[in-house]
Amino acid sequence: MKKKIMSGLLILVLLIVGITGCGSQQRSDETGSSGDEEGQKTFVFGDTTFNAENGEPDINPHNDNSGWACIRYGVGETLFRFNDEMEMEPWLAESCENVDEYTWKIVLREGISFTSGRVMDAEAVKECLEDLVKNHPRAAENLSIAEITAEDMTLTIRTSIPVPALINYLADPYGCIYDVQAGVTEEGIVQGTGPYRAVSLTTDSEMELVKNENYWNGEPKIDKITVRTISDGDTLTMALQSGEIDAAYGMPYASYPLFENDNYTFTSCETSRVFFGAMNFESPVTSDPAVRKAIAMGIDKEGFVETLLGGNGYPAAGVYPDNVSFGGDVVSAESYDPEGAKQVLEEAGWVDTDGDGIREKDGTSLVLRWLTYPSRQEQPLLAESAQATLGEIGFQVEINNTADHNRIRTDSDAWDIYVSAMVTAPTGDPEYFFKYHCLDSSSNNDGHYHSDRLEELAQEMAKTFDADKRAELAIQMQKVILDDNAYVFCSHLRMSMISKANVTGLTAHPCDYYEITVDLDIE
Amino acid sequence: MKRYIFKRLLLLIPIVLGITFLSFAMMRIAGSDAILQQVDATGIALSQEVIDARREELGLNQPFLIQYVRWLGGFLTGDLGVSYISGNDVFSTFVSKLPATLFLTGSSMLLTVIISLPLGILAAVRQNKFTDYLIRTSSFIGSSLPNFFVALLLMYFLSIRLPVFPVISEGINLKSIVLPTLTLGIAMSARYLRQIRAAVLEELGKEYVAGEKARGIEFSATLWKSVLRSCLVTILTLMALSIGSLLGGTAIVESIFMWDGVGKLAVDAINMRDYPVIQAYVVWMAMIYVIVNLATDVIYRLIDPRIRLEGERR
Repeated sequence: MKKKIMSGLLILVLLIVGITGCGSQQRSDETGSSGDEEGQKTFVFGDTTFNAENGEPDINPHNDNSGWACIRYGVGETLFRFNDEMEMEPWLAESCENVDEYTWKIVLREGISFTSGRVMDAEAVKECLEDLVKNHPRAAENLSIAEITAEDMTLTIRTSIPVPALINYLADPYGCIYDVQAGVTEEGIVQGTGPYRAVSLTTDSEMELVKNENYWNGEPKIDKITVRTISDGDTLTMALQSGEIDAAYGMPYASYPLFENDNYTFTSCETSRVFFGAMNFESPVTSDPAVRKAIAMGIDKEGFVETLLGGNGYPAAGVYPDNVSFGGDVVSAESYDPEGAKQVLEEAGWVDTDGDGIREKDGTSLVLRWLTYPSRQEQPLLAESAQATLGEIGFQVEINNTADHNRIRTDSDAWDIYVSAMVTAPTGDPEYFFKYHCLDSSSNNDGHYHSDRLEELAQEMAKTFDADKRAELAIQMQKVILDDNAYVFCSHLRMSMISKANVTGLTAHPCDYYEITVDLDIE
Repeated sequence: MKRYIFKRLLLLIPIVLGITFLSFAMMRIAGSDAILQQVDATGIALSQEVIDARREELGLNQPFLIQYVRWLGGFLTGDLGVSYISGNDVFSTFVSKLPATLFLTGSSMLLTVIISLPLGILAAVRQNKFTDYLIRTSSFIGSSLPNFFVALLLMYFLSIRLPVFPVISEGINLKSIVLPTLTLGIAMSARYLRQIRAAVLEELGKEYVAGEKARGIEFSATLWKSVLRSCLVTILTLMALSIGSLLGGTAIVESIFMWDGVGKLAVDAINMRDYPVIQAYVVWMAMIYVIVNLATDVIYRLIDPRIRLEGERR
């Protein structure tokens, strides 16, 4: 019997050693898969965001948010793009003329072909844009296209209403131009004009890309790219540490110190995603201007960013980040001043009569119902930070951190401040934020904020085509909402990518759209 | 026996109806919907018109009961619908994830039995000796470590320090399945071996063991032929419960190792309020538990003739 047991154990050990050895052998072969393999350069990119949850089940730009994957991974390109200052510049287009407030004439760049082999001309672009507005409700609403005509390399777009930001909207990832005649495969692959061509795709798992041999704007340097969806932050960390991936997007902040050495490179920039609170003007507490002012003065933005986010953010003044002409410190907000906030409350009659640390006025306690949601890791931290600092000036902050926030925020009796994380300038144009959040007609204005002045300025912006004037209006509009303390902007998100030190040409861009480009290389 | 099996399978109908209705209702109570969840994930606001149009397209503007009846109608005709999030056919998505889950279930069950059965018996035979203490201590440590922590430890030692296995699974293959299997196997073995030890100890204390010893039968023969056979019912019960939960997927392990199974699919669907995928998962779970329990009952009957199935004559 003992012999049998021993034999069994021996077989088991041999089996394990066999598997291990086999794994080890394969692995040592594959360690070289990143970099140079049989004369071919390969690159593996790990990303936490390439998934159906983010509306990116594939790379068909006309499907939900899949345009992000299409443009980020170098498959698709748009007619116009953002430069590093978030200003518009032509990309697949050569020039653009605003004929009148309804008509835009766009001349396309010559010598560009889709990866299907078809030449990109005005007819191909027209087919693509017509398919876009037919299948993508947000694009249809933004672009308001009435008619497109194509003639050789000239495209004329006529809109049903004036759309001053049309060029910006065309630079949105949904505006990636692909060959509609070549179609969309069952996997959701399209034939674009970018430096890379997708050859296989599995939703929520991975995509394989190969270089576009006929790319119009230089020669792609990598032969084969694999984009891996890695939803778990720790797994992403270990995959980069073990060398299974060459670069990562979406690394947890806590893992950053592991890569702060010569073996890795960080590329970061400020994005327009902002963590901000919207006040409820129906609430007996936050409808009081003094309370709103005290809240704005009582949130320690610098402390939150430095301590709780470990420096992975930027304290916000207004709606937009520093990298746009109408963002950063072109406006100023209330600075953190707990003593000043106390004085503001005292003067408005909010005093602590019973000595319990919470102020009262006319029998109402200064209770602030803070509504937020847990799907972004920073938001619960911000809530706790504000609970502590506002508590010191006499607020009792009751945090409701719930996935059901979308239902609750429509009930104006259920909250006082709603804190969310939204992208404020996805197309580099300032109109978007105000249109969707601050006006009487805004879908997200659940706090029912109203300002006559803001409505006037918004109407003016809707018919202003000049970019400088739009920027000027955006600054004025920010001043209005900040003067009213209708919103408190706490911090802008810092987006970072981490790569091995031998990776070059992978650079974070403020718009967050361009990752794998023709410049990407691995030494 | 056939009648019994048929009767048990018939039970599937009210069970599936009941739990699909309950899950449908509970997801509505949880609030939000697929469109709003996606707005949260992307941070890009949509106008009310776009939201309403999307809701209408997906039928989310309909009253709850109508939505459920529509889903049920589709289900009864073999149509599980399309995912609200990915737009892919739910049935084919689900079926594509099943092999990974089945493979992981099989390998982790096998590893669990390989580890826990001999160690459980050894601990019982060596009761209160060093070997027993060592095995029990290991078992306590194993069962107190959460799965995700074991997974990270294994990754650290076997993928980073000693680069043998991949961190991210590279499809369903032997090399990729080792770490997820070890993660699940360690936790389950720790639990199993204490149960097996207790079951074997109970049997060893019975009179028939003393009788066999008195008749001069070798202890090893008693152990393998009589004691172990008597313990099979306990082991089988444990295995049935584990197989049920493993076939439902192990979301944490699947997420960590990027093992593309149904557990991760279900958790993602719940987070995103992707009702058609959630319903498909609920139906799958109902079927698993009914079928696994039925199979277990039938096997009980086969390995121990003293056990009677419901309705069987004595």
